[in-house]
Amino acid sequence: MSTRDPGILQGTLDLMVLRTLETMGPQHGFGLAKRLQQISAGALDLNQGTLYPALLRLEQRGWISSEWGVSEANRRAKFYDLTPAGRRQIARESEEWARTVALMERFLKPAEEQ
Amino acid sequence: MVRTLLSRVLSIFRRRLLERDLEDEIAAHLAMQEGEFRAAGLSAADARAAALREFGGVAQTKEEYRERRGLPGFDTVQQDVRYGLRGLAKNPGFAAAAIVSLALGIGANTAIFSLFHALMLRLLPVERPQELVSMYRTGGWSKGFVSYPLYQEIQKRSDLFTGVIARTGVTKARFTPRPDARGEFAQKEFVSGNYFSILGIGAARGRLFTEDDNRIPGAHPLAVISYDLWRNRYGSDPAILGTRILLSEKPYTIIGVAAPGFHGVEFEQRAEIWVPAMMADTKIASPNYWWIWVVARRRPEVSQKQVQAAMDVLMQQHLNALYPKSYNAAMRQRALGQRLEVRDAGIGLSLLRDEFSRPLTVLLAAVGLVLLAACANVANLLLARGAARQKEIALRLSLGATRARLVGQAITESILLVSAGCALGLWLAGWGQRLVVRFLPEQAGNPFSASPSVPVLAFTLGISALSVLLFGLGPALRSTAIDPAAGLRPGALIRSGPPLMRRALVVSQVVFSVVLVSMAALFGHNLYAMRSIDLGFRNESVVAVSLDLPRELRGDTRLWIRQFAAQLSQLPAVASVSYGFPGPFLMGTSSASVRVPGSERTAHEPVDVQTAHISPRYFETIGARLTLGHEFGAGDNEGARKVAVVNEAFVHAFLPGELHPDSRRLSFDDTKPEGGEPVFIVGVVRDIRHGGIQTQALPTVYVPIDQAGNAGNPAILVRTHAPPSALLGPIYGFGHGVTIGSLRTLRDQVDDSIFEQRMLAAVGALFGTLALVLAAVGLYGVVAYGTARRTQEIGVRIALGASRGQVVGMIVRDSLLLVGVGMAIGLPAALAAARAVRSLLFGIEPGDPASLILTALILAAAGLLAAYLPARRAASVDAVRVLRAE
Repeated sequence: MSTRDPGILQGTLDLMVLRTLETMGPQHGFGLAKRLQQISAGALDLNQGTLYPALLRLEQRGWISSEWGVSEANRRAKFYDLTPAGRRQIARESEEWARTVALMERFLKPAEEQ
Repeated sequence: MVRTLLSRVLSIFRRRLLERDLEDEIAAHLAMQEGEFRAAGLSAADARAAALREFGGVAQTKEEYRERRGLPGFDTVQQDVRYGLRGLAKNPGFAAAAIVSLALGIGANTAIFSLFHALMLRLLPVERPQELVSMYRTGGWSKGFVSYPLYQEIQKRSDLFTGVIARTGVTKARFTPRPDARGEFAQKEFVSGNYFSILGIGAARGRLFTEDDNRIPGAHPLAVISYDLWRNRYGSDPAILGTRILLSEKPYTIIGVAAPGFHGVEFEQRAEIWVPAMMADTKIASPNYWWIWVVARRRPEVSQKQVQAAMDVLMQQHLNALYPKSYNAAMRQRALGQRLEVRDAGIGLSLLRDEFSRPLTVLLAAVGLVLLAACANVANLLLARGAARQKEIALRLSLGATRARLVGQAITESILLVSAGCALGLWLAGWGQRLVVRFLPEQAGNPFSASPSVPVLAFTLGISALSVLLFGLGPALRSTAIDPAAGLRPGALIRSGPPLMRRALVVSQVVFSVVLVSMAALFGHNLYAMRSIDLGFRNESVVAVSLDLPRELRGDTRLWIRQFAAQLSQLPAVASVSYGFPGPFLMGTSSASVRVPGSERTAHEPVDVQTAHISPRYFETIGARLTLGHEFGAGDNEGARKVAVVNEAFVHAFLPGELHPDSRRLSFDDTKPEGGEPVFIVGVVRDIRHGGIQTQALPTVYVPIDQAGNAGNPAILVRTHAPPSALLGPIYGFGHGVTIGSLRTLRDQVDDSIFEQRMLAAVGALFGTLALVLAAVGLYGVVAYGTARRTQEIGVRIALGASRGQVVGMIVRDSLLLVGVGMAIGLPAALAAARAVRSLLFGIEPGDPASLILTALILAAAGLLAAYLPARRAASVDAVRVLRAE
């Protein structure tokens, strides 16, 4: 069993992948990995390999689908795309995040407001 | 959730495809990353390395991916199974030894348990069987049965029962399936009208009996047949209803077929035809005629205890009314001692069960020990194997395998061993069942169902799982508890688990064998003791034939039997023919009340003695010796003076002092103290134990069958060298319309009467041998291993002048020490076990010294044998070579 700790919450990575697919459209694994690193601007110290089990998990849940295709560099690659269920999941998860963030903010705001 | 599971399950079947997919995907990823690094100006090699670095561990990602893809643990299990199979295939000797050990243990347990289940646990296929009770009469005469009036009294107790059934035992009857068909035999049962409705049995065809079918004696010639009889004898004929049959030569009409699977309520005997009790040819209403076996359905709210209390009262009232004070005092006392024992009837009625439950419990305990011994043996083998694989295990641990995974693999291997052992064991169990059935008395039939039932299979799987825990877990934990660094060091001392653990296992094996071998010796001695009891007749190869005579001959059979016997005696293989009622050994009893002139014992009251009506040459035929006087001759017939031969028990009881033939007499007229018409005692015969091996002969009077009032249905005794079956043809040839009730040698009769002891001795010996072989193998393994480890030490000893004899003595001492410790623990356990089976012993004590000494000798011999090879090897150690290798 792997002892690697991705350092981030599992649900967080899921949402990041789903959201990336939503904004960028169908992507292969390498593209997704690069994009995630770009957006997090290096703050996310992630082994690229960690992405693949996560992709499989999302696919098993029916949130994304995969298909073999040809990349921009004319290379065979597996492309992932968002399913309708995946879109609904983004909506649900975003709401959850917003609530969690709002809640945490109230705890973390300077005390004088109370 | 479901979707995830589905995809995981599907993945199992598309494994190879998915694996290539993953491979390709990762390769594509790496190639793209590499391309980017190249574009950024890195060299090919650097780009490749950087890409891999970015990706993280490829193998780890794959592993994680696979785990997520497949069923949790499934891939791991699959791998472990493959690994286990490979390991076993590489080591066929070990695998065979382990599998055979387990198969013997599991097979023995399955065989004995399936018998236990059939006899003690299997419920009748009737409605709510747990509510059924039977009233078993004890004390008095002809146990079990009650009279019809007593049945009617029980039936009135609707406060206790929702229904009470009357039925006779199942008996073999002459049967003609169609008016024009040949006669054969069928199993018949007389039942009350409510029989089927109270048991909750439905009809497969037609209708079953109602109360109206059983009201007037002789007026209901109706029959219901079993589904099996309908299928097998009538080919499931749809027009079966209304078929006219003959049963015991009386006409009946078939009105229905019972539901499939129903064969009556007896365990040993399957009923095939049911007829109303009112059709029985007996004094139905007589309170002295015991022929009904009562089965009742108790009310759910009434406990069996309450039923018993009520039955005790009911029986006492019944008996007090039946035997008024004026009765013969001894007889009355015996009659009033009778009880109605309320028994659980849900598992079927059985006479065999009473006798069989004790030896069966003993055997069940014994096979438990056999399984333990087998497990100890396999555990020992696994420990030895674990020791041999220590380097491999250390290597795998240091390469990152977790201990849990290694233990899992070891357990998987154990499960593989047990599975194979289980399959082989089930096959052996079938063989074992046939062995057990051979010891059952003839009337027991074959109690096993053809296919193993669900509870039996569950039991087998249960003990198999238990054995994995017993033999697999310890060695698995033990052999993986290694420090990987130390284990890998060259020349690291290879430990065989702790020798202590292996030694403890071997000692436990010795303990199991001490118990089993001593039990086998005890039962063997017991059987020997029973066999050496003088039965009073020597010729056990005499064939005893009981005939079922046609109706027209039933009145007085004497003339017919005499002619028949004369014809039989003409056969070339026949030495002599005689007949008598009852036959010499367990063929029924007959008694009479006598006065013996001059005897104080009969001066005030007549005395009951056993009687037998016999033909000339009776004692000669069975090999019984007369100590005085002579046998009857052809002249001792109706017109001659009345004569008798008595046995020695009779002489001791009634004729003390000097005895001359013809000087004493007795009388069957018991009205006057000195008797009436005299019967002259012309001979004294040695006591014949016709009540069974364990029953002392009672005072017995033999009278010539031609002087007896009624000959009954005598047993014909044929002294012949031919096997019993050779008589079949002539008997059918001489006797038209005669059918054979039973045909067997006196030896069979004797054997059946001690089937418990014979079975225990034979099966006990088998189990004892099994345990002994397992222990010897275990001993050999430990001693041989210990010797191999001490090769250097032995070399040094020899170099320093130790003799070969001393070295051999050292090895043998090692083995005998283990046996000694095992015996020290095992012998007290064996004594305790022997005390538990005391009731099965006859003529020997639980602490039987002969058995214990024999056990000790056998075990010591096993210990010596196990030490022989290692000792020889040790003695031939070449000191110079060993020391040079140092």
